[in-house]
Amino acid sequence: MIPPLLQRATLWRAASLGLWALVLLVSSVDGRLDLLLRAVFHPLVALAGLLLLLVALLQLRLAFGAGRGERGDRRQARTLLLTAAIALLVLLQPPAPSFADLAGQRPRDETAESELSFVLPPAQRSLTDWVRLLRSQPDPKLFAGDPVRISGFVLPMEGEPPQLARLLVRCCLADASPVGLPVHWPAGQAPFPADQWLAIDGVMGLRPGPGGGERLEVVPSRIRPIPRPARPLEP
Amino acid sequence: MILTRLATAWALFQGLLIEALPFLLIGVLISAGARWFAPGGRWLRRLPSHPLLGPLTGAALGFALPACECGNVPVARRMLSGGAPLGAGLGFLFAAPVLNPIVIASTWAAFPDQPWLLLARPLGAVVVAVGLALLLGLVGEPQLLQADLLAERRLHQPLAAVGLLERSSGLVGAPPPSALSAEAAPVRPPLAELMKHASQEFLYLSLLLVMGSVIAALVQSFVPRSWLLAVGGAPTLSILALMLLALVVSVCSSVDAFLALSFAAQVTPGALLAFLLLGPVIDLKLVSLLGLLFRPRGLVLTTAGAALMVLLIGQWVNLWRL
Repeated sequence: MIPPLLQRATLWRAASLGLWALVLLVSSVDGRLDLLLRAVFHPLVALAGLLLLLVALLQLRLAFGAGRGERGDRRQARTLLLTAAIALLVLLQPPAPSFADLAGQRPRDETAESELSFVLPPAQRSLTDWVRLLRSQPDPKLFAGDPVRISGFVLPMEGEPPQLARLLVRCCLADASPVGLPVHWPAGQAPFPADQWLAIDGVMGLRPGPGGGERLEVVPSRIRPIPRPARPLEP
Repeated sequence: MILTRLATAWALFQGLLIEALPFLLIGVLISAGARWFAPGGRWLRRLPSHPLLGPLTGAALGFALPACECGNVPVARRMLSGGAPLGAGLGFLFAAPVLNPIVIASTWAAFPDQPWLLLARPLGAVVVAVGLALLLGLVGEPQLLQADLLAERRLHQPLAAVGLLERSSGLVGAPPPSALSAEAAPVRPPLAELMKHASQEFLYLSLLLVMGSVIAALVQSFVPRSWLLAVGGAPTLSILALMLLALVVSVCSSVDAFLALSFAAQVTPGALLAFLLLGPVIDLKLVSLLGLLFRPRGLVLTTAGAALMVLLIGQWVNLWRL
């Protein structure tokens, strides 16, 4: 026998809406969005969460007021129960993607860069800045010997040593595409596992590439394992 | 390995879902706002029913709704249930995700050096929308639209357009609610009723969105994208591959141009346009949402018709640009 209170459709609706509101609001404050979405969408998600919370509260008020007599049909009850359960699951099980696994599934970002209008000094360039710069100025000799201070995750490569990589995201993780820099890993050192985040200090060096010819590689002087940064995705 | 892949799929699912939920909410709120400000929705029935003018008018309404395709579904449902001519409703559904200021601006921001794309994308979207509206118009509404949508629609259509026997209520069936009757003076629904309707609609649509996002995330995680882009240089294959990619990736039309930018250099121009045209009409995330409007036959026709038209447009562009 279901207690009369639990038969109120408005109450279930309020609960489901409230859970979805919580999903959006908690995601906005616990750093989850930094892992899933580009920053420009974060305010929209928070605003939608607030709106949903407001509607949920109004429904809750109805559940104990004018809407107390509303009994949902079976289909409605199923929808409400299912959507509440999914929202709860999303809330309780935060995302933990493997960036290396994701990057391994995706082709490299091949955005054709025109002349860069602003170039940071070498030691201030991020990994993504370096990749964009090298794409716009393909003569590697121009950068040999430049100091490098970058961070990224270890991305295994087929037929060559792992690279240090980042994921570029235009909207959400679904459209992430990797960019990476080859690293001249110190001889004799145990390889770092895929997905491990590293901070590397060193210089750009000209080394023989896998297809013949010379290419720029990061020659590290110091490699430090670091935790995943709070904002791991790059625009 | 499989656990790692599943963890990645779970994150992709959350990314797709959380990005789309605000747009879905915007759509539901606009739909509720239309019920509040124009109770009875008589203006909907005044939209042109001409086979060409109808879809074109519906498409033009996209400028009033700066949301992507997820937000369009509840609004299109509201239009159709309110008795709008089928062509106008479908024109809005299929073209509005492209013909809105945000999408045009983002396409321009992503491809400032390709002005042809800025013109070809909205134009192509209108051609596809008109073509689909004409195609789906050939199927009778009872075979095309979901039963509950059709029942609601019949109540709002003028008697001249719908026979009494086609109504499941009114003189033939159960008495219609006075607020829904086409002939009664429009009555603004009580705020509580409006909120209940909008809440229920949002929750139901979110469930469909969850289903679509799960499928899209699983396919994305287990089918390497390089397979799809491997045929980038071949004119026809590249179009087909990018159409498949648009189906799988399922990102919103407001941002898909930026995604296309990342592989624009590897594919033919026709394939690029095909990606930008097909995604807003149909993708894995959207298919369950469209199930709210269409019966399976309508879904199959929409997918096949859109694919064929986009393929032809892509081929034509490749002939022109290559």
